[in-house]
Amino acid sequence: MIRDYAARSREIIRDEPGVREAVTGATIAFDEKRRKGYAEVDADAWRRWAEGVKNHTLTHLDHYLTEAEARLRANGAQVHWAADAAEAREIVIGLATRRAVASVVKGKSMVTEEIDLNPALEEAGIEVIETDLGEYVLQLLEEPPSHILGPALHKSLRQVQDLFAERLNTAPDGDPDTLARAAREVLRNAFIDADMGITGANFLVAETGTVALIENEGNIRLTTSLPRVHVAVVGIEKLLPRMTDLAGFLQLTARAATGQPIGCFVSLIQGPAAEPGDDGPEEVHVVLVDNGRTDVLAHEHAWEALRCVRCGACLNACPVYRQTGGHAYGHVYSGPIGSVLDPGLLGLHDAMPLPFASSLCGACEDACPVRIPIPELLLEWRREAQDEGLTPWKERAALAGLASVATQPGLYRLAGRIGSRLGARGAARALPMLGEWARDRALPKPSPRTFRQLWREGIE
Amino acid sequence: MSAGGESSRERILGRVARAAASRGRLSHPGALATPAAADPVSGFVKCFTSSGGEVVQADRGRPANEWLTGFLQALEPGVVGVAVGPEVPAGLRPRLPDVAAAHAGAGISVAWGAVSESGSLILPSTGTRAVQLLPPVHVVWVPEGRVFARMEDALRELLHGLPAAVGLHSGPSKSADIGRTVVTGVHGPGRCMVVFI
Ligand code: SF4
Repeated sequence: MIRDYAARSREIIRDEPGVREAVTGATIAFDEKRRKGYAEVDADAWRRWAEGVKNHTLTHLDHYLTEAEARLRANGAQVHWAADAAEAREIVIGLATRRAVASVVKGKSMVTEEIDLNPALEEAGIEVIETDLGEYVLQLLEEPPSHILGPALHKSLRQVQDLFAERLNTAPDGDPDTLARAAREVLRNAFIDADMGITGANFLVAETGTVALIENEGNIRLTTSLPRVHVAVVGIEKLLPRMTDLAGFLQLTARAATGQPIGCFVSLIQGPAAEPGDDGPEEVHVVLVDNGRTDVLAHEHAWEALRCVRCGACLNACPVYRQTGGHAYGHVYSGPIGSVLDPGLLGLHDAMPLPFASSLCGACEDACPVRIPIPELLLEWRREAQDEGLTPWKERAALAGLASVATQPGLYRLAGRIGSRLGARGAARALPMLGEWARDRALPKPSPRTFRQLWREGIE
Repeated sequence: MSAGGESSRERILGRVARAAASRGRLSHPGALATPAAADPVSGFVKCFTSSGGEVVQADRGRPANEWLTGFLQALEPGVVGVAVGPEVPAGLRPRLPDVAAAHAGAGISVAWGAVSESGSLILPSTGTRAVQLLPPVHVVWVPEGRVFARMEDALRELLHGLPAAVGLHSGPSKSADIGRTVVTGVHGPGRCMVVFI
């Protein structure tokens, strides 16, 4: 439950100190790579361009969705529309049942987490195997992903060694290479045996009906190539107008996520195998999912969050996320983007208190490849929450405390920054919480090192 | 498609159109001008090798297939059986037994083209995906004249005959999911080697 955010954060910080260490280390490393990746190109120009393309697409989304659908059909793929999670699950399970699917391999996908697909497939008697190495670790542990990019980045080597020793019979001190090889063996057989591959999509190109997927391991290429049926579950906001737009987005997304010029593997899928020599799937299905996205699109401010390309850069830059990782947030989309997207997708009431889980330091916006004004959107949600009477003081105090733990000793600087970014009105709404934090600061356990120290250590 | 699917389609498109109409339709910013390398081949080599890809020089004094045969046998471990894509012409096929991709020591392909700015190989699905993905080593012949400076140029040209699927390979398979240590060859090939022709 999202409502337990503050309590869960405290628990993680107090009871699982390894999580903060692992998440902070990994996100600082990612963030540094992102900075390098941006520095190699004219990142400001790329980001403004990407913002413009996404704004254009989102304000012509009806047009591009129809175009993508027509192209996909012409390419021999089948297109399905799902208004909500239940309908999306029904569609996928219907396809699996019709093709007598016994086992499914999956590529890492946030939207299939969002619609709770795995439990539904398992309930229907279908075996589901996550094939991204990090996701595979989490599936064995029965845990949800904690980060968009590194789903298991909150896990230490020791924890994976213990897990694999127990489940895959590897040596208790196996190095990462040995552990990865053991997983590869299990998963290679799974790919060969599977009847269906399920993925998300990074982009869907309207002009060509192309489902584009970025990755580094190759498991998504295998998932979309070996089984006889491929199902791509795609949020309706993933559209791009043309292939030439995709050229820019493939590179910008990779730079934002990991600093790479591009992912090691990109799959561009237009439809089922048609030509001789192609050993790809006989059927390709694209399930277009709304599940709250049209509500976000209709919202006066929050619609900008739909530009998100799920690169994880805002999570990596966020001093609050670094304290706990994604599990504290209680929903599949965590960190800064989760805090602005979840209220739109789930309704503000159900997403409380996430808009308050931020110090408004602005690092997320500076990192974001599509320039989503996350701090402004957080303040908008806070205003709405206040107008709807959704903000009990105690909760706000707890969250302000958590945020300040992450950013101490920058409270004054922070207040100044909020004021300069958002004007007096924004600051006036945000500052009372900081006052309450001062009264109730015993709640979270303070960080022994400040965020700035950690950050410096990470880059020097 | 189910009856429910049909109505969901109308519902989603209707809501999207109303949201767009209330906001006003924003224009497209045009093309992203990324710089084009003067020498695409050396740009490709730099980018591809810095992400772990390998570029090998063929001995041009010998027939290409003979050179490749010796090269594969000299790898560690030496290659016994290969899987070769149907697009590979006879003169570029090593003289080693053909085996199923799942059991091959190396997969051999010819790239449709390559991209300098991202260090990517462009591999169409007609080249047989299993050959490109299953063997631990992937050797790719790349025609030197088909290295595009920019991804946009390559994708624009690809539009003229887009196959069912295209893979862009820009280095070996990698993961840092366990203990933040980079390991290669997790699912796809652990070595990705380019030979220019
Ligand atoms: S909000 Fe921006 S930075 Fe965060 S995941 Fe989305 S695109 Fe990346």
